[in-house]
Amino acid sequence: MIASMAIVRPLAARAGALLLTLWLVSALVFLAGQVLPGDVGRVMLGPFADAQAVAELNRKLGTDQPIPSQYWHWFSKAITGDFGDSLSMRAPVAPFVLSSIKNSAALAGVVLLFLVPIGIGAGVVAGLRSGSLADRLIVLTGVSLSIVPDFVSGLLLLMVFGLWLAWFPISGAAPDGAGFWTSSYHLILPALPLVLNLIGYVARMTRAGVIEARGADYTRTAILKGLSPSQVLFKHVLRNALVPTVAVIATQSGFLLGGLVVIEALFGIQGLGNLVLSAAKARDFPMLEAGVLVMAAIFVSTAAIGDLLQALLDPRQRRRNAP
Amino acid sequence: MTKRSDIDLLRNQSTRGTNGDIWNVAVDEYAQGFLKRRDLLKYAALLGLTGFAASQGLFTPGAARAATAGGTVRVGLGQPTKAIDPVTVTDPASIGVLSQVGEYLILDDPKDGLQPKLALSWEADETAKRWTFKLRPGVKFHDGRSVTAKDVVASFERLVDPASGSSALSAYKGILSKGGAKVVDDETVAFDLDQSNSNFPFYVSSDVYNAVIVPADYAGDFEKNFNGTGPFKLESFRPKQGATFVRNPDYWGDKALPDRVEIKFFDDEQAQVLALQAGQLDVIPSTTRLELAIEGNPNFKLLSVQASSHDPAHLRTDQAPFTDKRVRRALALTIDREAVVKGLLKGRAIVGNDTPFAPIFPSADPAVPQRKQDIAEAKRLLGEAGVPNGFEVTLTTERAYDIPDYAVIIQNFAKKAGIDIKLNVLPQDAYYGSATFGSSPWLDSNLGITDFGHRGTPDIFLNATLKSSGAWNAAHFNNPDYDALLIDYGKARDLQAQRVAAGKIQTLLLDETPLIISYFSQYSRIVSSKVEGVRFTAISHLLLDKVSFV
Repeated sequence: MIASMAIVRPLAARAGALLLTLWLVSALVFLAGQVLPGDVGRVMLGPFADAQAVAELNRKLGTDQPIPSQYWHWFSKAITGDFGDSLSMRAPVAPFVLSSIKNSAALAGVVLLFLVPIGIGAGVVAGLRSGSLADRLIVLTGVSLSIVPDFVSGLLLLMVFGLWLAWFPISGAAPDGAGFWTSSYHLILPALPLVLNLIGYVARMTRAGVIEARGADYTRTAILKGLSPSQVLFKHVLRNALVPTVAVIATQSGFLLGGLVVIEALFGIQGLGNLVLSAAKARDFPMLEAGVLVMAAIFVSTAAIGDLLQALLDPRQRRRNAP
Repeated sequence: MTKRSDIDLLRNQSTRGTNGDIWNVAVDEYAQGFLKRRDLLKYAALLGLTGFAASQGLFTPGAARAATAGGTVRVGLGQPTKAIDPVTVTDPASIGVLSQVGEYLILDDPKDGLQPKLALSWEADETAKRWTFKLRPGVKFHDGRSVTAKDVVASFERLVDPASGSSALSAYKGILSKGGAKVVDDETVAFDLDQSNSNFPFYVSSDVYNAVIVPADYAGDFEKNFNGTGPFKLESFRPKQGATFVRNPDYWGDKALPDRVEIKFFDDEQAQVLALQAGQLDVIPSTTRLELAIEGNPNFKLLSVQASSHDPAHLRTDQAPFTDKRVRRALALTIDREAVVKGLLKGRAIVGNDTPFAPIFPSADPAVPQRKQDIAEAKRLLGEAGVPNGFEVTLTTERAYDIPDYAVIIQNFAKKAGIDIKLNVLPQDAYYGSATFGSSPWLDSNLGITDFGHRGTPDIFLNATLKSSGAWNAAHFNNPDYDALLIDYGKARDLQAQRVAAGKIQTLLLDETPLIISYFSQYSRIVSSKVEGVRFTAISHLLLDKVSFV
């Protein structure tokens, strides 16, 4: 009973904070949308449309109403799961958001597929041989790669592997009805700049963890107990060393799912970043609100999942939460 | 030199009353060498002398090449800004998609002028206030229904209905109102105009890109089936991703050569040009930035059509410092137009002379002298106006196309005469504001630059941007002489009379200088050299039915 309360209470607090964050985000996005120049009807009908028609459209859409009433109208529907119709696409928002989440998730998936094994592998090698040439090379390469902006490396990779060598398609979006492998193949080129960007970070976290764990008393104890080096590495060193790495990967997943406007635009992927950007450009408030809310939800929940995983891996963190 | 007998043959082309007079003047102009062959064709088309070009062999099509059918044309376009609906589209990408499936009564072809499409022929009454169009029989929508006069009338009634929110509303303002389009019989439509207009066929042509003929019961859900009459029909559409079209086997005209058209939407220009370079696209739009990427590469071609698109700089004639026309002229005199055309527009433009009469309009009077850069004269005028050391002024404009760069160029030229221009570059929609006087930086700014797309005739530019009551009169130009000349121009039914009126307008505008128009830019697209037969209009229509692969 007490043990379950110890888990439920922080979880409930966490969920409450999450909802509060999302509500704040929704209100902020709504306000930000209002201070942008230009009005919705004008943007939708174009510069040369009749002023009367613009006023009529604004009336129909309710965009001539005071901001609080517009917000309330939207919010009261949104909590029932109805995000309304997109102003620019004249269709319900939800399917657009869902398909963009799918596209972003596919890209993030391919990134993690490369990032996790290579990043952790390099970090372990560097950590086990800290101070060696390999260690210095790994750390230096990681740092160098992380300071190259993804749109620069993206363009370079596009030119080398897309144009000159023609190994990969230029577009990240697979043709209609493509299967899993074709879709993934199309995503390799867009994923690479992100992998290169993040790999140094993951490797450094892993390396630090490995160095700390190797110097820890429990590792020394394990070695003194006479365990084999591989048992020491996997059961004692890595299990502890990877705790911070897991948190880092979880946070970065949030970033991968929501903030990739440049890469998505460069490779023509209709992900969340692109969705929110085009909605903002078109003053498509229902789409913008839904997109940003989903993004915020992904950020806070991946961070929460990261904490949870950390707690599962590290008993000390669990104890810290207990009353 | 044209032979005498040829001229007589041409003269015999029209036997109709008033049209015959206009035609005779056009033929005279052509015989005297004032009118180019292409412009004569345009006149023939305007009068509804269809099939004329072919019968006279005036227009010799490029070397007849047996184009082979088949293949997929892959096109890159920008991201449509909203749902694609013929009634409300405004963006180039949507117009490009629409051109695969939608058709107009008339196509304003950049090369051959007005070409009959769903209308077979057209004529006006004596006053040019009532226009009658004969429809092409046997045309079918993609859903199998026949096109009748009812569909055509409904299509236009929808456009002129203020509730439709169509951007065509501003084009039809003062010309066509609700109730103006009428069914005469199943294959005849009449338009009763609000006022005489000799150029009305342009208004039902592709020039008004919203004027696609759709079924009478069309309810605004175009993206569901893309139901039009065009040479291609919908295969699949994915919002924000792209669309594919296949050859329409029931097309009324020559069947399309390509089997398929595959259109992909891009959020990024760079991605577009990279995909073209990688051989994954055959056709993309063109901008000066993209052109740099393909310059000198034999794998790609740059195709251009002449257009009347221009970016007028308006000078508010009712606000200091531009109340004095000498000050306005001084600013216009600082600009080296040749340099703007060569530098900014890479030579793909023609020099303008501060009037909307682009040299491509047959009615423009070529005898009006061209304004050239003259800093000494500019300084003299400023001295005469009492501001010998120049003045400070803010230039407000939009972040679109080459305009911000153009603004900097104007700023630098003006400096030579001591005029100090501060720049205020706004996002496009902020610049347009509500597009009504009093709440639009475009219409309220002291000095501003605005983009205007191509039109087949100067009418809209002349009426909307310069008439004292004009809806887009950003210069707040209020000149009774000009307004009177405009009426003369509208009444002029033949080319000679039009050109006389045009010459007077051009001279008046040079003297008054409410607008600085230093260029008319071409419209271009970049295509792979593997494809032949890509055609397009200066208003973003993309015609792919004659495309073949080499």
